[in-house]
Amino acid sequence: MTIGEGQSASLEVEGVWKVFGQRPDRALAMADDGRSRAEIQEVTGQTIGVRDVSFEAHKGETFVVMGLSGSGKSTLVRCVARLTDVTRGVVRLDGRDLTAMDEADLRQIRRDKMSMVFQHFGLFPHRRVIDNVGYGLEVQGLRRDERHERAERVLDLVGLEGWGDHYPQQLSGGMQQRVGLARALVVEPAVLFFDEPFSALDPLIRREMQEELLRLQASMHRTIVFVTHDFDEAIKLGDRIAIMKDGEFDQVGTAEDLITRPATDYVREFTKAVSRAKVLTASSVMDDDAVVPASRSVSRGTSVEAIIALLLADPEPIAVVGEDGERVGSVDRSAVIELI
Amino acid sequence: MDLAGGTGSLLRRWWHWLLLLAGVATLQWLFRTVDSFPAGLDTFFSDPIDRFARWSQANRRTHWLFTTIFNPFSDAVRVGLNSVESALLWVPWFVLPIAVFLLVARSRNRLQAVVASLAMAYPGVVGLWEVTVETLALMTIAVLFSVLLGVPLGVACALHQRVNQAMRPVLDAMQTVPAPVYFVPMALFFGIGAVPATMATVIYALPPVVRLTTLGIMEVPSQAVEASTVFGASRRQTLRKVQLPMAMPTIMAGVTQTIMMALGIVVLATLLGAGGLGQEVMATLTQRRTGRGIATGLTVVAIAVVLDRVGRAIAGMDRSTAPGRMVTGMAIGGVLSLVLVGRVVGWIDFPEMWDVKAFDPIDDLMDWIRDNLRWFTRGMNDAVIIWFYLPVRDFLTETLAWPVLVFGTAWTGWRVRNWHLAVFIAGALTFIGLIGMWDLSIDTLTQVVAAVILSVVIAIPVGIWAGQSRRVEAALGPLLDAFQTIPSLVYIIPAVTLFTVGVVPGIIASVIYALPPGVRITALGISQVPEESLEASEMFGASPRQTLIRVRLPLAAATIMVGINQVIMMVLAMVIISGLVGGGGLGFETVSAVKNSDVGIGFEVGAAIVAMAMVLDRLTQAGADRFRPPAAT
Ligand SMILES: Nc1ncnc2c1ncn2[C@@H]1O[C@H](COP(=O)(O)OP(=O)(O)OP(=O)(O)O)[C@@H](O)[C@H]1O
Ligand SMILES: [Mg+2]
Repeated sequence: MTIGEGQSASLEVEGVWKVFGQRPDRALAMADDGRSRAEIQEVTGQTIGVRDVSFEAHKGETFVVMGLSGSGKSTLVRCVARLTDVTRGVVRLDGRDLTAMDEADLRQIRRDKMSMVFQHFGLFPHRRVIDNVGYGLEVQGLRRDERHERAERVLDLVGLEGWGDHYPQQLSGGMQQRVGLARALVVEPAVLFFDEPFSALDPLIRREMQEELLRLQASMHRTIVFVTHDFDEAIKLGDRIAIMKDGEFDQVGTAEDLITRPATDYVREFTKAVSRAKVLTASSVMDDDAVVPASRSVSRGTSVEAIIALLLADPEPIAVVGEDGERVGSVDRSAVIELI
Repeated sequence: MDLAGGTGSLLRRWWHWLLLLAGVATLQWLFRTVDSFPAGLDTFFSDPIDRFARWSQANRRTHWLFTTIFNPFSDAVRVGLNSVESALLWVPWFVLPIAVFLLVARSRNRLQAVVASLAMAYPGVVGLWEVTVETLALMTIAVLFSVLLGVPLGVACALHQRVNQAMRPVLDAMQTVPAPVYFVPMALFFGIGAVPATMATVIYALPPVVRLTTLGIMEVPSQAVEASTVFGASRRQTLRKVQLPMAMPTIMAGVTQTIMMALGIVVLATLLGAGGLGQEVMATLTQRRTGRGIATGLTVVAIAVVLDRVGRAIAGMDRSTAPGRMVTGMAIGGVLSLVLVGRVVGWIDFPEMWDVKAFDPIDDLMDWIRDNLRWFTRGMNDAVIIWFYLPVRDFLTETLAWPVLVFGTAWTGWRVRNWHLAVFIAGALTFIGLIGMWDLSIDTLTQVVAAVILSVVIAIPVGIWAGQSRRVEAALGPLLDAFQTIPSLVYIIPAVTLFTVGVVPGIIASVIYALPPGVRITALGISQVPEESLEASEMFGASPRQTLIRVRLPLAAATIMVGINQVIMMVLAMVIISGLVGGGGLGFETVSAVKNSDVGIGFEVGAAIVAMAMVLDRLTQAGADRFRPPAAT
């Protein structure tokens, strides 16, 4: 089975704030005067979790929120999924305002459109794997055999066939998160939230799970909001990445944008450790107007890593061609060396 | 350094002591001619209550309050009690021990299964099964009520901050109040008999199930709740499908505690005419038959053992290791066919094997001890009374003017916590005096102090000893377990036999009753000291003695203080109970109030006990907090 046929949705987040504490109004007033988060904490005792965040996750896009511990990523996801109240701002799903909805409507929209994968899996230890996976269908009121059948199919999809009768705590960490993933997928959600789903796993399993998610997303094209503190993971999974610090977005863009044009020192700091050769492509290293004679050519989107391999075999410059095959520039050794 | 500055800092350091001294001296001088507390509100409470009691006596059959609420309720409870009783007696005698064996054997522990099954058979073996059944019925119904009431309450507390804030002090108070206090209002509404006894048990046993339900629900990881919410579950669905099942182990622990508390009080409930084992114990008490008393007391221990093992077997049943449906089905089928066979063959009542007479040699032993240790018991009796009880009581009531005691206690509260506690204490003590309970309360207090001193002097060294050695602790464990489940009344029997009537048997019984938790908690505190701290001390060449005094004891002090708090509360409860054997004080008044349906006095005594319990509890808890190392920030 594939989970491709369903619908996807766009998610708009507009000027969202979240203040923890009894007197959010005082904190907001100070924040509007441009005071810092630390200052506000000091004076009012209120914690600013999210500060004026706006973004849009398009249909079928994987939008990654990346930041260090305590930067407010989880709080943001909880605001967007409306697990917590938004202090100020609007969240829209396919144009419908989630922040203005009453409990019953919200519940309905969750049943129809959303699901989430948690950092510590959030599995129910008192339910068998199959009943964990079927939970979303159960609260929708589906019959037991139908639930089990669909859950069974999704378990196959994530590579857990035959584990349905076990209890989650009898499974390894990686398998448990597969259960978490299956539980989120079985309801065919339009939007999927991931809150650091793989950070509790060891590196090998983590890589495996990332591949798994890429594979699934390639066929299902859901809108995904993915939180991580691992920049490599962000690059690997994200169509666009937001860098979050102290509750605010420092910059939003593609991996290449962030590396080549960091908006702040903070962003630069993050991107420094990344293997640039993997992320950057021919278009960001090529020399635009040099029309050097060249016997070989690569497309704009070729990774620098691949170009290095070519240059190592033969040091002559390489031509870069656009979508229609026309020449747009060239790359030589000095350009690549300068980059690295 | 100038002299004035020196005096200033001295003054600053000592001024609260000066305040105490000045206050005591002034008050003592001012009130030197007033001898007892002016009981200004003597009849303030008792009058209206007595009036209500008389009215309810007269209108029990006619007024709607009784005909539509209390009486039908009583009838329902009575029907419940009777049906449980007859159901238990209907089952052939050999079935329950076998069923208990099978149930406990499920968790794969054969030895425990045999122990539990023998314990189940014990009441029948000593010929007390029918009496035990009465008590079991009372417990079953009471626990049922407690759970039906307690779980929803606990859930409400967990889900609503407000409810929680409102309930917390109520639960705290409920747990500090000695059980007999509940008897008076129950007698007022339900009269005398098994029904008020059941209701008193319900109230007494309620707090653990409420508390642990709340705890269980709050401990459910927030991710699990969020996961449920995000899939569109309603609150009710989340509660039913996620929170309650995940909290179940904790809730079951609460139910177990509730059962144990109910078991602890059922014997006492005989004061309300509940019959059952309690009545049996009372009978042995009046006859001074220690042996039979022990035999009866062991019945309660046996029930406790059965409940504990069965409870553990159920709680420990992991879904993945539980025997399959087949085995379970066969076991149930087997038990049912046993019931059938027993009924058909007519093999129902316990065969007469033994009865409590088998324990009579213990009586002879006790008599022998009494006759031959008279020099000791008499001497001890006189020593406690002449050297401690009388002088302290007279000092507190006659020498000291009452305002001095109020002031001194409030001052202590202020020093160990803050002025809020001081005000509370002053208020509570004044209240006791105003309702005319001053002298009785001081009497009780003196007995409590004597018993607490004795308990602490024994419990702390034993606890320290046990805390430092696994082997000692393991050896003491079962003994302490048994001591903690033997009904408190049973302790009074040997004490009365040896020390005759008066305050001393009550004090002795209180000491025995309060020792186990004292030893337990002290041992816990000592053994909880982190290994690393001890090793650090040893590395610096400290002798074991130095390590004990400089590291272990200070680090265990807060826990030991909690133990002392427990000791005090248990002693207070027991001193009240020992009013039965002529201990006098508040206890005697409670007992006579219940017996004579003297409800007004009963209420006043109850109020005084509650006030005293709360003062003692808060003072010692505040004291315990002062020993705690500051929390990390
Ligand atoms: N319920 C709450 N009450 C008060 N403050 C909170 C609450 N939840 C989060 N915070 C604060 O908000 C800030 C952001 O927390 P958040 O959990 O969103 O960070 P995060 O980026 O998800 O970090 P991590 O990587 O550790 O999960 C932190 O300073 C945290 O202390
Ligand atoms: Mg987080």
